[in-house]
Amino acid sequence: MSQEKRFSDEFLNAFVDNQIAAEEKSQAFIEIGQDETLNRQVCELRKLHDLVQLAYREPPAPPARITSGSTSRHARLRFGVAASVLLTLGIVLGSMIHLPGATTIPTVTTAPDGSAQRAATSPKRVALPMATSNTMVAAAPTQESLSVSPVTSLLPTPTVAPVMLVPVIAQKKIPDNTQTKVLIHLARDDVEQLRLALDDIEGLLKYYRETRQNARLEVVVNGGGLELVRTDTSAFAGRILRLQREYDNLTFAACQNTIDRLAREQGIIVRLLPGVITIDSGMAEIMRRQNQGWTYLQV
Amino acid sequence: MRKLLTLTILAMLTVLGTGCATMHGDDKQKVVYHINYNDEKQLNAALGNVKNHISAIGKDKIDVKVVLHGNGVDLLKTANTDLDMQQKVIGLKKDGVAFEVCGNTLKGKKINYKNDLFDVSEKDIVPSGVAELATLQQQGYVYIKP
Repeated sequence: MSQEKRFSDEFLNAFVDNQIAAEEKSQAFIEIGQDETLNRQVCELRKLHDLVQLAYREPPAPPARITSGSTSRHARLRFGVAASVLLTLGIVLGSMIHLPGATTIPTVTTAPDGSAQRAATSPKRVALPMATSNTMVAAAPTQESLSVSPVTSLLPTPTVAPVMLVPVIAQKKIPDNTQTKVLIHLARDDVEQLRLALDDIEGLLKYYRETRQNARLEVVVNGGGLELVRTDTSAFAGRILRLQREYDNLTFAACQNTIDRLAREQGIIVRLLPGVITIDSGMAEIMRRQNQGWTYLQV
Repeated sequence: MRKLLTLTILAMLTVLGTGCATMHGDDKQKVVYHINYNDEKQLNAALGNVKNHISAIGKDKIDVKVVLHGNGVDLLKTANTDLDMQQKVIGLKKDGVAFEVCGNTLKGKKINYKNDLFDVSEKDIVPSGVAELATLQQQGYVYIKP
């Protein structure tokens, strides 16, 4: 596939919507990870994707019906209250971040599709609706002045507000539970250790499947760990093939630096098990993934 | 159409609030230590790391969890009989360290935590030690494998 086609808008959209084959996706993931511009592009698409999903969480209203003047004013008032309550909530939460000593969590701030960055990069999109909501709020000045101080007592009144509040609380506890991303690093050739590591990997995949968590696992092998995925040395070739078949959210990634070193120093031409991809450098991949919000484990 | 606009605006406000909320954290340093080996020398070194870490930061300013899975569970097995190891565990617990034990390992190795392990109660058991390591990192815990 040519570079141009790989990075077309269609491809990136398909990538974000999870509509491309697993192998192709993991390859693309690496290439996108290496390119800052592409990374940002994907991030933007993800953000849009998320916002659209959020907006459609409630089904769209039935076709507009003709409403009398009084009920539409009623609806507008209700909306005004809901908007002002949410705005106040936003301000309160916003002011909390200015507390001294507040620590930022690296995995959250640097996650490509993390909510923090989503908020940080979205002012452009927010600007227009915010203006609209302000005018709406202004349309109900008496309601607003009544509602601002006893925020909690008014929460039940607007019917939409409690529903929309749920993600605020849920996301505060678990930054990005829509996809758990785990990188597992294997660097040693001890067969017993590798067996235990595969047990852990399989256990983790099973756990995420049973608990219906949307997770991705990437196993990075370098140094002695490369033996796990070499056709001539792997003691677990069958098991690796089976795991790849059973779990499409699992990727084995081999370090090209190690492969090159083996060729240079020992004259070994490494052949990898089917489905195993290569990455430029295991160490670089670990850094990159952590910067992208992946969690790191050495088993 | 109007309803859609309304929802979009509310969603924007929520996202705005969320973005702010996620950036807020408490000022305790959060650390998770990962132990999955049973070499006694290595175990003692790891517990030494934890102890030094706490004294460097101050026990009121740090929240340490030790996740034990696989062979790492043997640490608490050893502490059942080895008084030296037991003292170390007691000392760390006094400093606020939580030892979390992998439920999968207990099942796989047929370990009865009440009899075989030192001072473990039901609240110390997590379903999967490895998943717990990922979850804690998502919650802002820094991962250390000594």
